[in-house]
Amino acid sequence: MKYFIILLFAVAGCTANNATPTKPVVSSTSGFDASKATLLKSGMFVGLDGPTTGTASIYDQGGVKYVVLDPLNANNGPDLKVYLAKDINAKDYIRLGSLKSTTGKQSYAVPGTPTISDYNYVHIWCEAFSVDFARAEVK
Amino acid sequence: MKRILFFLAVLVHLALEGFSQSTKRASENYIDATFGVAKSQGALALSYVHSWKFGAKQKLGIGLGGRFTSYLGANQYYATAPAQLTSESTGPLIIFKDNITANIDTFLVKSPQVNSINLSINIDYQVSKKFTAGFNIDAIGFSFGGSRNGNYINGVSGKMTSASPTPFNILLVSDNDRGTLNSEFYAHYFLNKKWGIKLGAQFLFTEYTTQTQVQQFPQANDRFRNKPLLLCVGVRYKL
Repeated sequence: MKYFIILLFAVAGCTANNATPTKPVVSSTSGFDASKATLLKSGMFVGLDGPTTGTASIYDQGGVKYVVLDPLNANNGPDLKVYLAKDINAKDYIRLGSLKSTTGKQSYAVPGTPTISDYNYVHIWCEAFSVDFARAEVK
Repeated sequence: MKRILFFLAVLVHLALEGFSQSTKRASENYIDATFGVAKSQGALALSYVHSWKFGAKQKLGIGLGGRFTSYLGANQYYATAPAQLTSESTGPLIIFKDNITANIDTFLVKSPQVNSINLSINIDYQVSKKFTAGFNIDAIGFSFGGSRNGNYINGVSGKMTSASPTPFNILLVSDNDRGTLNSEFYAHYFLNKKWGIKLGAQFLFTEYTTQTQVQQFPQANDRFRNKPLLLCVGVRYKL
């Protein structure tokens, strides 16, 4: 009964208002330029809550690290965020921002100067409902 | 703290006075069941109250009671709780201070469920023969409930961790409060001599303590609070 009530609450709270855009983003606005960047790590996405396919890569561009999703075809959902995490369960992560689009190439600057070798997973995480939509192990 | 102790002392004095003058002063006992609901969260509260009547027409009721509250939610955002962080102050003037948002982090709990048993303070006033307006608030008690997973979010970084309800509850001033505390403003309507119904607003603090001190800036912290306002309805039975 308790979980039925929780489910009702969750359904009531899941509105289309905070869904991720589906049109591809204009990648030139992010500051990332693949011709000037060095690939550090890369991995394929695995869909965990619905089908998601694509590749996540980490680049170094003049000392700034970027997470690049290219290509990406993600399952849509509310409040999707991109996490760069140390582990498979995202117990310790850097929050890169809202997923810009469920499709197409997109890049995210990694804030600060983390030791990138410690971060081995890129997650697409539904923050409002604490659901891991997809993850890519990058190595 | 001194103010709270003084307030509690006054209440105990009033209670004892009510006892000592029980032959003259009217009093009543009632039980109360209230259900509160807001978006993605709800609470059930069961109370027992002994109320003494004051005033020439004995329209003012002041009572003490016990309240069990069970809170259930889904995907609720908890915020940094200690007053030392939220207001950088713990003095009585804290109620006039704005929150310092830079010090407040978020702990998102997927399925919060907190139970509490508290001593409650109850004040009501009989507006007419059928209607009473009232206020009650939990003062001190304890909380229990299972450990829950949550997502600690601090701007660009975060950690997944587990948390449990803060075990000890006490009403102090503003964010100095600790634990899970329920309060209600309500209007009560007597259906007959025994039964009544009520409608009001429930302001319910619930609090979780994380397994580790996930917040480190500007100082270490493991307490996070949620303060929903719930629409509540209830029934009351006069014993």
